Amino acid sequence: MPSAREITISKSKTPILAIAILAVIFGFGLFTVGYDQGHLFSIVLGQEAFDELWIHELTHDMRHAAGFPCH
Amino acid sequence: MKTVLFLILVLVSGCFAGMIHGLANLAIVEPYLDEAIGIENQNLFASGEEVDSPQFWVEYNNYRYWQKGGQILAGAILGTSFGALFGIVFVFSKNVLPGSSNARKAIFLSGIMWFTIYFIPFLKYPANPPTVGDPETVVLRGILYLAFIAISGFGVVGFYQLYKRLQKNKKFVAYLGYAVFMSTVFIIMPQNPDEITAPMDLVNGFRIMSVFAVSIFWIALGIIFGAFWQKFQPDKPVKAEIH
Ligand SMILES: [Zn+2]
Repeated sequence: MPSAREITISKSKTPILAIAILAVIFGFGLFTVGYDQGHLFSIVLGQEAFDELWIHELTHDMRHAAGFPCH
Repeated sequence: MKTVLFLILVLVSGCFAGMIHGLANLAIVEPYLDEAIGIENQNLFASGEEVDSPQFWVEYNNYRYWQKGGQILAGAILGTSFGALFGIVFVFSKNVLPGSSNARKAIFLSGIMWFTIYFIPFLKYPANPPTVGDPETVVLRGILYLAFIAISGFGVVGFYQLYKRLQKNKKFVAYLGYAVFMSTVFIIMPQNPDEITAPMDLVNGFRIMSVFAVSIFWIALGIIFGAFWQKFQPDKPVKAEIH
């Protein structure tokens, strides 16, 4: 394509949607690893999730190692 | 800005750094966790809450397996989450961060974030191994820790606004302001209410390794994020070809 011309579209605007998505991911991830005590799975599993603490077991060691209060 | 590329870059670098954090924990923090949980088990036997039976150890090994393996997954989740925060801060601050390239700016920013939202909060509320915490106070401790991190983080944002408005030879006032502000908060905020009953050697060893591992995470995040940004340049002006 020898006749192709290149134009430059400058889009320096900060993508607000991307920032919002990242903020939600930050909050969700922090809650899951740092604070969840069965809340997340309880949405689908009900009370069982609080008794079994699946996420708590998975995130337990990281929670301690990363400095979050645990038990 | 190429939004999708930006999002993928942010999340993938956070996820990678988080998995590195998980591996570091397995290598250097896990021995202390095992020791601490060993003490917990002895306490359970002594108080009669659990019986030192083969059945207990089967169950114990079962959930310890989940807990250890979970490090990598939990690292990936936590890393992605802090990576997301890092991405937000980077976008808003990259034009003013020192450094001749985006890669250097990313490493510089990871240093600032490590110091302000990890290390200072750690000094106030250091990490504790199992056996130290009282389950009754876990919600309070969680709120205190998160509040302290948030105060320090927003403190940086606030004093940065001041920094921008100050003349060149008065910029130090912003640093000083942040230092005074954080020292005050440090003193005012209540202590961790729990008494440490575990051996101090164990607790200190655990804390040192925990700081190492989290520091590895922040270094990895800065390097990986910076390298990706340098390579893919999501902020490069979009070029379109017209025929
Ligand atoms: Zn725990």
